[in-house]
Amino acid sequence: MKLLKPSWVNHNGKPIFSVDIHPDGTKFATGGQGEDSGKVVIWNMAPVLREEDEKNENIPKLLCQMDNHLACVNCVRWSNNGLYLASGGDDKLVMVWKRAAFIGPSTVFGSSSKLANVEQWRCVMILRNHTGDVMDVAWSPHDVWLASCSVDNTIAIWNARKFPEIVMTLKGHTGLVKGLTWDPVGKYIASQADDHSLKVWRTMDWQLETNITKPFSECGGTTHVLRLSWSPDGQYLVSAHAMNNSGPTAQIIERDGWKTNMDFVGHRKAVTVVKFNPKIFKKKQKNGSTPKPSCPYCCCAVGSKDRSLSVWLTSLKRPLVVIHDLFDKSIMDITWTLNGLGLLVCSMDGTVAFLDFSQDELGDPLNEEEKNAIHQNIYGKSLAITMGSQLSSTIIDNPEMLKYQQERQGNQNPNGAQASGPEHQTPKLTNVLNGESLEDIRKNLLKKQVETRTADGRRRITPLCIAQLDTGDFSPALFNSVPILPGSSASTQLTPQISSDSSTANSLVYMYVTSYFPALSQPMEPMKALDSRFTERSKATPGVTSVPLTIGITPLDRVKDSSSVKEPKVKDETSSDSEDKIMAKPLSMAKRKGEMEGAEVVEKRKKGRPRKDSFIRTHVMSVRIKDKTKEPSRLITPVAVLKLPTPSIQKSFSTQVSTDAIAYLEVENEVSVVSGARLSQLKWSRDGREWDTLLTSRITIATGSSDIVAVACEDRTLSVFTTCGRRLIPSIMLPAPLAALHCSGHFVMVLMASATLSVWDVQKQTALVKNESLNPILSGTDATVSQSFLTRQGVAVVSLSNGKTYCFNSSLETWNLIADKQDSLVQCADFRNCVSSQDALGSMGPLALTQGRNLSAGRLASRLSSTPHHLQQGMTLAFLEKQLASALILLSASEYRHWLLIYARFLVNEGYELRLRELCQDLLGPVHKSSSSSWEPTVLGLRKRDLLTEVLPVIGQNLRFQRLFTEYQDQLELLRLK
Amino acid sequence: MAKVQVLNVAVLDNPSPFGNPFQFEVTFECMEDLPEDLEWKIIYVGSAESEEYDQTLDSVLVGPVPAGRHMFVFQADAPNTGLIPESDAVGVTVVLITCTYRGQEFIRIGYYVNNEYMDTELRENPPLKPDYGQLQRNILASNPRVTRFHINWEGCAEKMEDSENVDPAPNAMLPPSCTPGKAPPLGLVPDNSMDCL
Repeated sequence: MKLLKPSWVNHNGKPIFSVDIHPDGTKFATGGQGEDSGKVVIWNMAPVLREEDEKNENIPKLLCQMDNHLACVNCVRWSNNGLYLASGGDDKLVMVWKRAAFIGPSTVFGSSSKLANVEQWRCVMILRNHTGDVMDVAWSPHDVWLASCSVDNTIAIWNARKFPEIVMTLKGHTGLVKGLTWDPVGKYIASQADDHSLKVWRTMDWQLETNITKPFSECGGTTHVLRLSWSPDGQYLVSAHAMNNSGPTAQIIERDGWKTNMDFVGHRKAVTVVKFNPKIFKKKQKNGSTPKPSCPYCCCAVGSKDRSLSVWLTSLKRPLVVIHDLFDKSIMDITWTLNGLGLLVCSMDGTVAFLDFSQDELGDPLNEEEKNAIHQNIYGKSLAITMGSQLSSTIIDNPEMLKYQQERQGNQNPNGAQASGPEHQTPKLTNVLNGESLEDIRKNLLKKQVETRTADGRRRITPLCIAQLDTGDFSPALFNSVPILPGSSASTQLTPQISSDSSTANSLVYMYVTSYFPALSQPMEPMKALDSRFTERSKATPGVTSVPLTIGITPLDRVKDSSSVKEPKVKDETSSDSEDKIMAKPLSMAKRKGEMEGAEVVEKRKKGRPRKDSFIRTHVMSVRIKDKTKEPSRLITPVAVLKLPTPSIQKSFSTQVSTDAIAYLEVENEVSVVSGARLSQLKWSRDGREWDTLLTSRITIATGSSDIVAVACEDRTLSVFTTCGRRLIPSIMLPAPLAALHCSGHFVMVLMASATLSVWDVQKQTALVKNESLNPILSGTDATVSQSFLTRQGVAVVSLSNGKTYCFNSSLETWNLIADKQDSLVQCADFRNCVSSQDALGSMGPLALTQGRNLSAGRLASRLSSTPHHLQQGMTLAFLEKQLASALILLSASEYRHWLLIYARFLVNEGYELRLRELCQDLLGPVHKSSSSSWEPTVLGLRKRDLLTEVLPVIGQNLRFQRLFTEYQDQLELLRLK
Repeated sequence: MAKVQVLNVAVLDNPSPFGNPFQFEVTFECMEDLPEDLEWKIIYVGSAESEEYDQTLDSVLVGPVPAGRHMFVFQADAPNTGLIPESDAVGVTVVLITCTYRGQEFIRIGYYVNNEYMDTELRENPPLKPDYGQLQRNILASNPRVTRFHINWEGCAEKMEDSENVDPAPNAMLPPSCTPGKAPPLGLVPDNSMDCL
């Protein structure tokens, strides 16, 4: 065993209350007291592990520090997937942190410290519920829930898929709750409190399973924390501070019957923290000796208020090692590395210690498969859905597979070694703002920003939103940003060369100051006097009413005002990502229409933020239909002749049409009267190009796509123009008044008041759907049409108010259900383990649009973790197959590919060999050409064999399928050679 | 914790003639949608000796502020020279940018400002009465001094007491007139807004 106290891991002497190693082992987090706030620090693990890295100045030690907690941080915990860090503190808050995707170190604005944050971790969520200090936080297996406990005597269970939703607040403790641990099987959560009890709660119904008090009845004195731990095999729960014969112990509680017969004894003061090694071990087999089957055992570290640490193996009666006087104050937290051989301990004295064991000392860790076998044995189900990270011990009998596995390893390693490696792939951020570079925006910000006056005459600036919070896309350029210096600024000799490099900033300041005060006698005095002004808050911070100065508006301001009023359109373009755009658009429309209500605006915001232009269009559409359904008397009734509400005619309105650049359609009805005929004007503009045309009837709806513009008039005619304004076909006479009109590419979709649907391809001049009735989907329900749209491939999609969405398939001539918000399969399917981060991009399309971008799939899945595994498996399978079929019928190639890969991953993870084989077979097709084969080599324009090439690596992740992998790999290779 | 973090302030048009407006490009990040506007102020310290000479150059509301990263340029006119003591016109002083939410100041960014004659002749023999037309203002942009205050972002007076044990100090500094909802009637101007007039 090696012992190291890395002195550089400290909070400037302040206590460290918690430590946790990241699941990938490359970094660890500490939490504790900061200067005048709580502090969370993320450290690089490499300098702890290797001396040469510690000495190498190019390897950063501190990766990021966060001072956001207002008061001491009691606990930091990484999620199992390593994406998030949760921290809880005396400020009653739990914060969830996520790494931001932009590149480059940054300092905290205005901080004197030269230490730049190498990684950017940002608080993505603040969880407020507790009314007292948060003492411990814990992620459930598979990161379904996050639990936090507090001195308010409660435990909050947060839905980790949908922060800040609280699943349940566990009440029952009558004292400060100071420790939490999840059962690795996911069935229970245990908590220990100052009320002399340890409680085990069921995750199925969140009720108390058992209340253990006996070992704690003698417990006097308090410890700061009571961090208990559950063994990796799930069989034992070990408490913190317990008493046996007036001696402090760590009580062992057996899962079977919650028996309390054993304990760890020897510490002289209360046990503050217990932490099981994540690995299960078996005896190290010596070379030569006959391998005896030995019982697997667990390893556990115990830290105490007596400042000593003991490490136990459940196979031994005595501790493996006891280390005294490791710290000057109580041990506060312990964390193991994932390989089970390293251990970090932190103390109230503000230091940490690292223990490094060898396999000779602890034993051979079982690999994941063996561990799963144990779980399977005890609980009848495998707990870990392995993504193949710990399959090292399985024999690889195929060179391709070996190569593939090696490549994977190779890809993983650089992640840890150089932090800057993977970030290069992140998209450049300068495009966030509609292609306008940040520099351009900054140059014109003053002119462009919208400034208004409030009712009481105050200036009000609408800030330009340059990034949304949840995208993780932030502009690197913003950091260390340099003022844009006017060209003339170089004329004065005093102008410093302002550099963005923070490391030179300090010396710069020095030069600056000295050059300013070369021989003046007085400057130091006022400086001192002025210094206090930086920090002192003004005695009164006047409220909104107390600023008389602004009443006098200078003429200059007025000019600015009027110019800014003219510019809302421009502003809209620059901030299409911002929420206020969504607000601004309907609002401006509302002004013109004068009949939309605020309530609708609110509702649209709830729907989420459309980011892509194409979404914006459908967005606007949906508004319009809502608009129409407002009159209750016109609601659809389930009678034979259905009637959809039609839009009312407005004097003028405008629509935004999504094309490559945003185009606007403006309609002015009855613009002029020429010899008795009333003319209406349609105006189209994009990038300064514009055309207009006149129609003889009042226009009810106008819309367009990148190729065409379609206009419906009051006289039931439909006109179609090219984007240059040329009429494509003579007016189409519609059989009924129009309810909704959509364009996409060369396709036009009309939904008529008679509840019939038509879709035309105006380029080929063919009808795809001819007067198809909505009767099949509307009859028998009192649902109304809530939304409709047309995909790029010309598939008409209709959403109903009952949450169901249908599309019309013209070859089958059927309505197909593609989304149902109430579908229990959607809510129960749990495939999140199969979604990889880069998948998110592929999931955009008509299917995602109908189902909602944050698919509620798996919302209830977490609830079911205690129901039979096979049931959930089946539901997930059914759901995924449904998604595949829906993507297929919507002709949405990217979504088909997206779901196909998830489906394949799911099959691989859950071991559905037959289905996997069928999938591969279909993708591969016949190897030898035969005329009778009906196999299509492509699906939705994607080459099936290309898809197979993508699916195979997924299969390769599970060594169980190496035969399958090899088989298809070989055949693909064969085909390639042909 | 603070819902609003100031990420950067770039000083624009610097150095510049004394009479030019101040321009600060502020980039800030907001954790969640703010129901109320932020109020930003630029305060020019006329004299180190006394707060009496502080001038609020301008105050502006910024909003709506949804969650996300935002930027804006805050421009305010140069200080009223009539309110600056003549002896303090030339030399080092301070300009402050403050931001308040629901009447509570949560960040104060200070910069040293050096006002100096561009002309060497004037620099060596400054006129008794300052010649503002000849003065150049130079803001020490590279060295902002940032002070952050803990405030109650939820803004309700009861909750403020409730959060006492978080950090009572800054709250204690708030005068009673500041508690939201109890703003003084219009005619009643707090003492220190004298300096705005």
